[in-house]
Amino acid sequence: MSQLIPLFIVLPLLGAFLNSLFVRKNTKVSDILSLLITFSLSVISFLSLFLVNKYGVLIYKVGGWRPPLGITLVLDGLSSLLLLTVCLVSFFISLYSINYMEKYTSKEKFYTLFLLMLAGMNGVVATGDLFNLFVFLELASVASYALVAFGTEKEELEASFKYAIMSSVASLFILLGIGIIYSFTSTLNMADIAKTLGGSLNKVVVFAGILFFMGFGLKASIVPFHAWLPDAHPSAPAPISASLSGLLIKSLGIYSLVRVIYNVLGLKELFSLPLMFLGTVSIMVGVVLAIGQWDFKRLLAYHSISQVGYIILGIGLGTPLGILGGLFHLFNHSLFKSLLFLNSGAVEYSTGSRQLLKIKDLGLRSKMPFTSLTTLIASLSISGIPPFNGFFSKLIVIFSCIKAGFFGYAFWAIVGSILTLASFMKVYRYSFSTEHTENREIKEVPFFMKLAMLSLSLLCILSSFLFLNKFSNFFLGPAQKTLLEAKNYSTINDFVENVR
Amino acid sequence: MRSLVIFDGLSKFIGVFVVLFTVLIFIYSLAFIKRRRFYYYFWFILTFLASLGVVFSSNFVLILIFWGFLGLSLFSLINLDRTSQQADTAKKTFIIVGGSDAFLLLGFLILTYLSGSIDFSGNKLEINSLLSLFSFLFIGIGCFAKAGLMPFHTWIPDVSQHAPLPVVAYLPASIDKLLGIYLLARVIKDVFILNGLAKVILIFLGGFTVISAVMMALIQHNIRRLLGFHAISQVGYMVLGLGCGSILGLAGGLFHMLNNALYKACLFLTAGNVEEKTGSSELEDLGGLAKFMPLTFLGGLISALSISGIPPLNGFVSKWIVYQALIDLVGNSSGSLKIVGSLGLVFALVGSGLTLASFLKFLGGVFLGKSKKKVKEGNFFLLFPVLVLAGFCVIFGIFFRETVLNIFLKPYLGEIKIYGLWEASLATLLIIFGLVLGLLIFFIFSLKKKFRQDNLFVGGEEEEAQPLVSDFYTSFRKMRFLAPVYDKACQGFFDIYQVLKKITFSFANFLKYLHNGVLPTYLVWCLLGVLGLFLAFFRF
Repeated sequence: MSQLIPLFIVLPLLGAFLNSLFVRKNTKVSDILSLLITFSLSVISFLSLFLVNKYGVLIYKVGGWRPPLGITLVLDGLSSLLLLTVCLVSFFISLYSINYMEKYTSKEKFYTLFLLMLAGMNGVVATGDLFNLFVFLELASVASYALVAFGTEKEELEASFKYAIMSSVASLFILLGIGIIYSFTSTLNMADIAKTLGGSLNKVVVFAGILFFMGFGLKASIVPFHAWLPDAHPSAPAPISASLSGLLIKSLGIYSLVRVIYNVLGLKELFSLPLMFLGTVSIMVGVVLAIGQWDFKRLLAYHSISQVGYIILGIGLGTPLGILGGLFHLFNHSLFKSLLFLNSGAVEYSTGSRQLLKIKDLGLRSKMPFTSLTTLIASLSISGIPPFNGFFSKLIVIFSCIKAGFFGYAFWAIVGSILTLASFMKVYRYSFSTEHTENREIKEVPFFMKLAMLSLSLLCILSSFLFLNKFSNFFLGPAQKTLLEAKNYSTINDFVENVR
Repeated sequence: MRSLVIFDGLSKFIGVFVVLFTVLIFIYSLAFIKRRRFYYYFWFILTFLASLGVVFSSNFVLILIFWGFLGLSLFSLINLDRTSQQADTAKKTFIIVGGSDAFLLLGFLILTYLSGSIDFSGNKLEINSLLSLFSFLFIGIGCFAKAGLMPFHTWIPDVSQHAPLPVVAYLPASIDKLLGIYLLARVIKDVFILNGLAKVILIFLGGFTVISAVMMALIQHNIRRLLGFHAISQVGYMVLGLGCGSILGLAGGLFHMLNNALYKACLFLTAGNVEEKTGSSELEDLGGLAKFMPLTFLGGLISALSISGIPPLNGFVSKWIVYQALIDLVGNSSGSLKIVGSLGLVFALVGSGLTLASFLKFLGGVFLGKSKKKVKEGNFFLLFPVLVLAGFCVIFGIFFRETVLNIFLKPYLGEIKIYGLWEASLATLLIIFGLVLGLLIFFIFSLKKKFRQDNLFVGGEEEEAQPLVSDFYTSFRKMRFLAPVYDKACQGFFDIYQVLKKITFSFANFLKYLHNGVLPTYLVWCLLGVLGLFLAFFRF
């Protein structure tokens, strides 16, 4: 069954090439192509979740080379969860793009870049080789620089430039870290590195850990490495903002950070406090900055920083409950934050503006009922109002802090949650609360955009059920186990040898 | 053992009245709500179900889910007409209520951490450490904001003023009071053992709320807002009762909660009838309605007397029990509890007098005096709930022992011993006897014919301007010591929402100043971050 794993990378890459080679005028073809690819990837990722629950770990050997020598693709609990998140949300984003991207020229180029980015994200998550991870990371990053600048207006180019510079700095730190680790262990296979290091707290390893922390931390936009995000995410077209905030910072940032520090370097205990501390700082800084914004998308971008803080806080804590809460919040955040960006895109699509003060008295509540309803659901989810998914994941994160005796962190997480609610009440108040006073022709968005938003909001409600043990064991359990028993990662190569 | 539901005396007591209020206000809404009916009833019914959920769940997570959902339904119901005032009110309300829900969550989680139980069946927890005190206070914040205790009250006057009146009568006036006080009583009786400090805090907040809310009520010109401030002030009595921690105190607090829900809902519905027929809720525009709306007046009169604590109505009895509990507490304690307890008692007594004063303004301004325009009495749907609620006020006042104490409170609290002589039925008989005697004298000697009624006149000219009821008690407003306080209060200086908003925005502005958009600055931060990490790991 391990033959399924390369599909995650091959399919989107294939799509990207076909798109750029053959599609010229008829962009319907690229709509269908991208939809097909993301849909089949979502199905496969569901399938892979079943496989992981059944077999534990699956390894694909690229070119048939044995693990320490060749590149491997590894499907374990954590990567299957991330693949599911990435592919599922990508499907809805590509559904949304069918209508939304009409207003841009060269839609096929958008799809090419989007699929390339998807291939990069999937590659980062699936690979078992440290340098391979770097390659995919750069692939996704470079595609995202181009996508941020896709509108090619002054603001977008500036944001893309800043993003590219900061992100490259981060990539260099990561590369330096990889170099140090390679010279220290003489291997690039991640499981093999873990085996060679054997959990030693050598200063070189810690040094490399810090470099990774900075590099991946910047991609995940942890404070103080966050400054690029509020410029870059709002500048991109809405579907791309959704995938940057919903997926890219998670797969390139959080996943890689946690995978390298927990599983590969085995520095879980050492990095626990710094992760938790910076996570909490991110929660507060992000949300306080968000509440003062009047630009819908910029506000959402700041909230991404804040919500990543919750994920990092939970995972950094390292207790079973904390990791579960962090992963749960990761999944939820990718749903509701993508949905919110799609909502902001819908507002911009219909009214031409995303400034809250300009859309204030347009009466969008009655003119755009679907957008209004889905925005409300997503806002309540991110603010942690029951019975939506954000409530449950925050509950677990906060309870895990209390259970471990970190009352201060729990308190700040609560304060952050209240401010989140306040800032989304502001958004909802100005965009959707009032009857129209101006007579302006405003239409609800086209069908596919509505469909994508409605399905995501439905998922926001359904994923609340992951709170129940029965479901969380299946969806989150394997990933939780991967991080909880981080040391076991070093043995996965042996596992494959025995099976084959 | 884990249990999801709880069916004890308290839950049943609250549950019965949740159903009663829902039915009555549903009937009222049939006549009052004319737009967006589907939306309104959708949220109305969800509110009802969620309230029952809160009352009958034992599991903390279930309670939190239902409780949080109630905030959402309140938010949706306030913004029924979608005016910008309603939108602002809904936003503010949801931020305060939702924010306090977050603290409630924190409180419950700390409680679970301390007691190891996630439902009410666990052992009682003594408040002996800072952590347990915080747990109690955080749970308290959730209850306070729901019920409207100071300083978490500021949403209630706004909601009272702007939201549709059935919504006001349903949520802030009755259901939210029932639930907020329910949870507070539940944790005080079944979860925590209060220590002196916790009692001091509760009694202080309660007494402070009674007096300051009623002072604010005195100067209002809008009947909705006036009633809103009374809805806050009355919570003070409940918390005073509960804060005593004794059985008597709990009985007083719970009884007062029920009474307040009855007469406050009745008053808001009365105001609804008035607004429905006259189209205004400003005291200046109203007056002399008793002639045209006698039944509404009757309802308003009974509930206004009842809230002011006039015997033999229900408000008197429950206040009486609360006073008893406070006197008991003062007698049996020492130190700061004694001081705060006696202070609370004084505030409660003074507050009661001032309540009567401000309801003179309400009754006089709306129903008495010179009528400004002719209106009709409301229809059956508008009157039935008002009269039923007023009827309950009378019944629970006269037969308090037989009804509320024995049927509803005894199963939960056990035998309740009330000191002091107060035979409500006898007193009522005497009062009725007195009234009848007076009426007989009035009619037999046909006193009415011996007086001539005429309009006011000055210097032979008819005086147009009559004393303006809406300006009653402006002397309070202008008193030397109170004037600056009132000024600040009217500017929202004591509004926790405005204060925290200011603080948050000043932080936001500082952070915005740091994010100047210059790339090298951002790179310097990254560098400083890495240096900080190196320092953290390689200090040694």
